[in-house]
Amino acid sequence: MKKLLISIILFITFLIIYFLQANFFSNFTIAGISPNLFIILVLFIGLYANQTMGIIFGIVIGLFLDCIYSKTIGPSAIMLCIIGFLGAYFDKNFSKENKITILFMVVGTTAIYEFGLYSIRSIILQYDFEVIDFIRIVLIEIVYNSLLTIIFYPLIQKAGYTIDRNFKRNNLLTRYF
Amino acid sequence: MGNKGKSSGILGSVIVLVLLILLIFLSNVDNNKLSYLENIGAKVTTPVQKILSDISNKIKGNSSYFSSLEVLKKENEELKNKNSKLETELRELEVLKAENKNLQEYMNLTEKYSAYEAIPAYVINKDISNYSSNLVINVGSKDGIEEDMTVIADKGLVGHIISVEEKSSKVQVIIDPASTVSCNISTAEESIICKGTLDNDQIIRATYIPTGAELIVGDSIQTSGIGGIYQKGIFVGTIKEIITTNNSIDRYAIVEPAVDFSKVNTVLVIKK
Repeated sequence: MKKLLISIILFITFLIIYFLQANFFSNFTIAGISPNLFIILVLFIGLYANQTMGIIFGIVIGLFLDCIYSKTIGPSAIMLCIIGFLGAYFDKNFSKENKITILFMVVGTTAIYEFGLYSIRSIILQYDFEVIDFIRIVLIEIVYNSLLTIIFYPLIQKAGYTIDRNFKRNNLLTRYF
Repeated sequence: MGNKGKSSGILGSVIVLVLLILLIFLSNVDNNKLSYLENIGAKVTTPVQKILSDISNKIKGNSSYFSSLEVLKKENEELKNKNSKLETELRELEVLKAENKNLQEYMNLTEKYSAYEAIPAYVINKDISNYSSNLVINVGSKDGIEEDMTVIADKGLVGHIISVEEKSSKVQVIIDPASTVSCNISTAEESIICKGTLDNDQIIRATYIPTGAELIVGDSIQTSGIGGIYQKGIFVGTIKEIITTNNSIDRYAIVEPAVDFSKVNTVLVIKK
């Protein structure tokens, strides 16, 4: 029952993030580049809930974004699914207690997501891969995402532990050994 | 008896005189010098007076103090209601103004492109991705929209329809990196290809410029009609900069689109 409630809350969080991204961050940019909060959300779900949740949320959010904006359905879903999977992988292999570790995870997943998405799109839609401009965009996005992670880290950690307690009740502590 | 009456008369006169002198003296003394006295008085009397006044008001029930407070509250309530009504009216006026502006834009658009049969539309969503600039408009298959229809705005070409839902459609704009438009230069009959770029979301790149073509900064670019999506002669933008390379085949031009894509709100979809 609690798991269902948490899933509903996470979905509502996604909707809030969507409206923030569409209305607020589209105007509040760094050098014309807006952050990508969906990456942080899916990484966070994979990290604190479990692999299945991370992958399911990744696919659902990705499909939603593809359906709304893109001509091709699938690229965002594939990449966010990978981010959800990576979140769970990071959970098994790294500690979530350290802010720096979380920050590195955000930097890595943002780079992987954007590179993957841009590559898939450039292949499907047959446009030139503009390396320098792409790197510039991704670097600014990474900085923006990292800043938001630092700002919201206390909230992420608090909400994360609540999710963690409900999804991983049986293997607390022992899973690190 | 006579002496006693005389002396008491003198005493009375002295007292009156002293009182008068004191009165004159006090009336000419600076008020501030007496304020400490007033304060002491006020400190003593005010709490007592307050208690007494409260008791009196309670006994009277609907005292004038409370009744005036009631009146004031009522008046305040009425004024608040009036204020909220006025605010609502103001908001409605603003909505009407915005609608009027949009309708005027529609009028200008339909007059300008009267040769085409077109469907007016609003932009309801913009792509949140950093390397894609698609738009979502509020008309769909129900309104007769089909894929590959041309979308224009007041000043020129916006893009074309890439996907149609029942009540909305996605538009690939000409500044999107995946967009390519076949165009003509106004001063020459040469065809060029205008492509969106990641570099800046307010410019497009004119490529495949024929080696013999002479480009001039400020030349206007319009659609050539080749490719089957865009109609011929729709204004795209003007040449802002020409980038020449060692190899004349690789040269390209930076074109400033006529439409400001950060502000585009009203568009027309041209029916095929």
